[in-house]
Amino acid sequence: MNNHWKNILAVAIGGAIGTYGRYSLNILTSNSVYPIGTILENLIGSFLLGFLTAWFIVLIRKEWLKVGLGVGLCGGFTTMSTFAADTLSLFATFSFIEVFTYVIGSVLGGILLAFCGYLIGTRFAAKINNQRKEVNAK
Amino acid sequence: MNISLLIIGGAIGAVSRYLFGVLLMKRNKQPQFPVAMLVVNLLGSFGLGTFFSFYYGEYHSGDYSDPIYLGLVIGFFGAFTTFSTFSVESVQLFNDKKWKELIAYILISIMGAIFLFAFGFYIVNPGD
Repeated sequence: MNNHWKNILAVAIGGAIGTYGRYSLNILTSNSVYPIGTILENLIGSFLLGFLTAWFIVLIRKEWLKVGLGVGLCGGFTTMSTFAADTLSLFATFSFIEVFTYVIGSVLGGILLAFCGYLIGTRFAAKINNQRKEVNAK
Repeated sequence: MNISLLIIGGAIGAVSRYLFGVLLMKRNKQPQFPVAMLVVNLLGSFGLGTFFSFYYGEYHSGDYSDPIYLGLVIGFFGAFTTFSTFSVESVQLFNDKKWKELIAYILISIMGAIFLFAFGFYIVNPGD
C-alpha cells in the first residue's frame, strides 16, 4: 500500500475511535445540564496531543502512526463545532458570566494542558532516548 | 446501525480534515500562521450552524437516538473540526514567542467559530 493511502487509512481508523470515545463520554455525562462532556474531551485531547507532539519529534518516525494518533485519534476525540454550538445553547439557561467561564475554561484550560502534555512528553522522550543510547553503547 | 453511522461520519470527518490540511500545506510549506486548522474549524462550525437550522430549526442538544444527529453532528462535523490541534498550535506560537499571532489565532478561532455557527444558523432561518 502506498504511503498516502496508508496515512488516510490510519486517520480514518483513529478518527473513528476518537469519535466513538467522544460519543461515549457524552453519553456518560448526559445527565449534566452543563456540557461537561465536551469540556472534558477537549481538555483530555489537548493534553494527549501535546504529549504526543513532543514524543513524535524525538521518537516516532512512521508518518502513518503520527497522523493516525494525532490527526485521527486526538483530532476526532476533540471538537470545535460542538463547542461553538454548546456555547450558544448555554445562553438559553445560563448567565453571560457562566457562559464566559465555560469558554475561557475550555480555551485556557486546553492550551495549558497541551503545554503540560508537551513538557511531560519532552522529558519522557528524552529519558527513553538516553536509555536507548546506553543500551546501544553496551 | 446508529453506532456505525457515528463511526463512519467520524472517519470521513477526520479524513476530510487531514486532506484539507495536506492540500493547504502543499500551497504554503512554511506557514507563518496555522491557517489550515483555523479554516477547517471555522468552516465546520459554519456548516454545523446551517445544518442545525435547516434540519432542526432550533439549537438542539443531544438526541442520541437520532441517527442523523449521531452521524452528522457528533460524527462528521464533530470530527471534521478539532480542539486539540488548536491548543497545540497555540502552544507552538507561545514557544516561538509570536505573541501577536497567538492572540489573533485564539480570538479568531474561538470567536470566529461561535460567530460563524450563529451566522450559519441565522442565514437559513432569519426569523429566529
